[in-house]
This record gives sequence, structure tokens and C-alpha cells, in this order.
Amino acid sequence: MLEPVSVGLKFAFLAVLYLFLLWVSRSALKDLRRGAFGGARPPVAADATGMHPASSLNVLDGDGEVTPRLVVESVPGLSRGMAYDVGEGATLGRGDVEIQLEDPFASSRHAQLTRQGAILVIEDLGSTNGTYLNDELLRGPRPLHAGDRVRIGDSTFTYSD
Amino acid sequence: MNARNRELLALIPATLLVTAGFAAVFIQRENLLNDLSLTYGAIFLALCVAAHLVLRMTLPDADPYLFPLVAVLACFGLVMLYRLDEELAREQAQWFVVGLIFFTGTIVALRRDHRVLERYRYVIALGGILLLLLPRLGNPVNGAYLSFELGPISFQPAELAKIAIVIFLASYLRDTRQVLVIGARRFAGITFPPLKHLGPLLAVWGTAMLLLFVIQDLGSSLMFFGGFLALVYVATNRISFVLIGLALFALGARVLYAIRPTIESRVDAWLHPFEPELYEREIGGSYQIAQSIFSQADGGFFGQGFGQAIIQLGDSAPILPAAHTDFIYAVITDELGLMGAVAVLLVYLLIIERGFKTAMLATDSFSKLLATGLTAVLALQVFVIVGGVTKLIPLTGVTLPFISYGGSSIVANFILLALLLLVSDRARREVAP
Repeated sequence: MLEPVSVGLKFAFLAVLYLFLLWVSRSALKDLRRGAFGGARPPVAADATGMHPASSLNVLDGDGEVTPRLVVESVPGLSRGMAYDVGEGATLGRGDVEIQLEDPFASSRHAQLTRQGAILVIEDLGSTNGTYLNDELLRGPRPLHAGDRVRIGDSTFTYSD
Repeated sequence: MNARNRELLALIPATLLVTAGFAAVFIQRENLLNDLSLTYGAIFLALCVAAHLVLRMTLPDADPYLFPLVAVLACFGLVMLYRLDEELAREQAQWFVVGLIFFTGTIVALRRDHRVLERYRYVIALGGILLLLLPRLGNPVNGAYLSFELGPISFQPAELAKIAIVIFLASYLRDTRQVLVIGARRFAGITFPPLKHLGPLLAVWGTAMLLLFVIQDLGSSLMFFGGFLALVYVATNRISFVLIGLALFALGARVLYAIRPTIESRVDAWLHPFEPELYEREIGGSYQIAQSIFSQADGGFFGQGFGQAIIQLGDSAPILPAAHTDFIYAVITDELGLMGAVAVLLVYLLIIERGFKTAMLATDSFSKLLATGLTAVLALQVFVIVGGVTKLIPLTGVTLPFISYGGSSIVANFILLALLLLVSDRARREVAP
């Protein structure tokens, strides 16, 4: 009789199936622990900027002033050409931060600009959907240069200094 | 190990499953250990490797686990159908090949940039709605207008239409999601979308209601509308929009319940499956659902074994009707027990996890919404049919993706998988170090 073989095959079937599932879910878990992006860093505490009052939102009037600004290229709810003064650094995100974005794809604390000497450095704060500098995914802190495009979700800014 | 090598390795367990499953069915049927099962396993592996090679050439960075997970589901389908009826399994195997052809065709056609689909969004939407209306030309099956006879082939247009509608909504919401959020105002603690943009939302709701009344099937309407709400939620991050949508859907379903006796009898069969009067009713009774629960209980923890479930006694009418389509999940539970059933659900869970993961990795809004929508409709489809078979919700006739017998279901779900892999490839290539 082949009855034992049949029972054996059933258990072999289930065993192979569960081992396969274990293997796939192990890599899935690894993904989840790592966060959305491979090797993303834990969010950095924003001690550099603290909670100073929201940056003044002023229209760029082209007076040749040389303060670092993030100029709105296309940001939901804001008109093109408006600019944020970011000379002292700022945090961008959907939450209670200096530069508030009405963008569902932005994290509450999404990205941070910090002043380091004469240059301004942009860094992603472990956001879910990433920050793009000139259409490239930001990995680690990067200095900003005039004309750089910063994109978060559907919001795009141009940096000028 | 790179993504494609992982994929190739993961196809091996799927092949082992086919071989073991067929061998067990042979033993049960003819009481002999037949090496034909090895041949079937080899053919299955060859087909999967062929599709894998296409992926290797076109989408090198796509998610490595989606395709093997689907192969495992297809293996479940083939083994179970073979156990039920050899002829059905042969046809299903043919459909599996057709599905793979459409799968590779979609990938090759869209390999450069799947976002060209956005350009045809209105054509795609119109096509989807026409497909849904097609079955009205024929006769209803079990009170619902879901399938369409095209010569000898019975065709379920809803399967293809779900993809068309997700493509349209993803593209539409990409454009409008901002205005939906910005003009929103709060009233009585609930955020309402701005009135002038409420229009499109109401239009989609109206379409879903129209479909509900046209196809008269709650399950597939729930699948469409649920997919839509998932997309709206992801696009706007406003839970209130989802709650408003659900309230509207409940309202529509209540109206349909009141005016359509078919729906009412389904709900009755769901609430009281063991009531003798309902159990013995010829049409629209609770016989199916009651038998489905009996056979699942029969499975126990490890199941009765392949080929051991009692589907039919002699030449009489089958004990478990529609075992190859709607109730295939009950057959799996009967033969492989709780362990087997949970494994099937875990496979779906992992596919859905990979799908949402793909959506998170995608960089542009359209791809994000597309992956979310496709994954959501797949998840809802599994929920609707498994929920129906296990008497969690009223039973409606949608297929169990990749497992149930049915050509249009296999083909449509393979196209869905192809789109997910296309999004995944682009997303992972941009993220890869």
C-alpha cells in the first residue's frame, strides 16, 4: 500500500511550503526593519535649528540680496517664485516645522537644512518617501549649490544664494 | 545574491510543490507512484524559468519574490484542479501558458516606461467600463451579471476591468490629489473635500453604484470601490474621505438590498446557512455555503490529504458545488487542513506586502498610486472570496486569484503582476546603491 507515501508527501508538501514562506518572510522582515530605503539612518534630532519661529515667507523681489533661499518652483498651496529664508537652517515637512508642506507624500519631519560655516547642508531625516536633490535620491548630508533643485513628494524648490 | 538569482532559487520550492502535489494525487487516484509527476514538475519549472529569463533580460532589478510567490499559488491551482478533474487542469495549464504570454508581453511592451499608460487614461477607463457592461448582453449567472460568453469561452470582464480602473484612478488622482487636500474644510469634526472637487469623487461613487446595480454583485463592487478608497486614502492622507466613501457605499448597498431579491437571499443564506428552509431551497439557497463550512471543518489541522476530500458521491450532483472556482479554498482547507489554508493566506499576505513595499519605494506619484491600487484590489479580491467561503461576509462569485479555474482571471492577474514588477524594477533601480 502506498498510503504512508501519500501521507508523507502531504507533510513534505506542507514542509516545503512553510520553509519557502519562512525564507521569503525573513527577507520581508529585513526590509521592514531597514525602513523604506536600504541603509536609511535613524532620524536625526533637530538640535541645530530648535523651534525658532517660522521663517518669514517673502516674495523674491530681485534686489540682489545674498541670503540663502529656497525658492518655490511648484509647491501645492504656494505660488511660484515665493521664497523661504533658510540662512539659519530650517526643517521641511508636513508637521510643525519651519517649512510646512501640504503634501501627503512628505513625512512630518522630512528633511533638514543646516548651516555649516559658509555652506548650507541638506539631509533627509529618515523620511518615508525620500528627498531628491536634482532628481537624485539623497543619501546622507549633501551641500547645496545655487540652482540645485530639491524635491519632496510633489513639492519642488530651487536653492539660491 | 542579486534579485534575479534569488528569484530563480525561489522557483525551486514551487516546482517541488507541483511534483509532490501531483505525486500525491496519482497515488490517491491509481494507487501507484507515477513518474509522470516529475514530468509535470519539469514542465512547470521550464515555463517558470522561461518567464524568469524574460524578467532577467528586461527587468533586472524587479522584486525577486513576487513571481515565485505567484508560481506557488499557480501550483496550488493546478494540483487542486487536477485532483478535481483532469480536463479542467489541462485547460488551466493552457491558460497558465496564455497568462505567461500576456505577462511577458506586457513587460516587453512597457519595459521602457510604464508611465505611458497615463497618456491613455481616458481610453483605458472607457474600455474598463465597457468591459463591465458587456455581461449585461447575456444572461445572469446566479443572479449576477459577471461573465460573458464569447464563442466557447466564458469570459469574466470584471477581472480585466479592475486593472483598467486602477490605472485610470492612479493617473487621475495623481493630478487632483493636491486640490482635494488643500481646499478641504472641517465640519463637525470631519474633513470634507472642497465642493468643486467633490464632483469627481461623487462621480466615481456614482460609477461604483451604477456597477453595483448593473452587475448586481456586491463582491466585485466592493473590490472596485475598496480599491478606489485605498487610492484616495494614499493620495490624500485623509481618513475622513474613506469614511465618507464607506458611508456612501453602505447607503447604496442598502438600497440594492431592498430592491433586489437576489442580494437579499444571499444575505439570508449568509446569516442562517443551516436553516432547513434555506438549505433546501433550489435557487439562491444556503446549500453551497453550508457544505463549504462542513468541508472546511472536515479538514482539521493537517487535512485529509490530497484527493481525500469528498466532493462528489458516485454520479450524483456534487456535494460541494463550484469546487473548482468559488469554493476551491474550501477544497484546499479540506485536503491540507488549517496548515494548508493558512499557508495560502500567507502567500497572499506576502504578495501584498511586496506590492505595498513596491509602492513605498516608487519615486513618482503615478507609480506609487498604481502599485497601491493594484495591490489593494488583489487583496480585496482575496478577502471577498475567502471571506465569502468562510462565512465572514455574504458569498459573492469572484475568483481566488491565480488558484481558481478561469482563463480571464489567470490572464488578468498575470497582467496585474507584470505591472507591479514594472513599477518595482524602476523603483528598486533608483534606490539600489
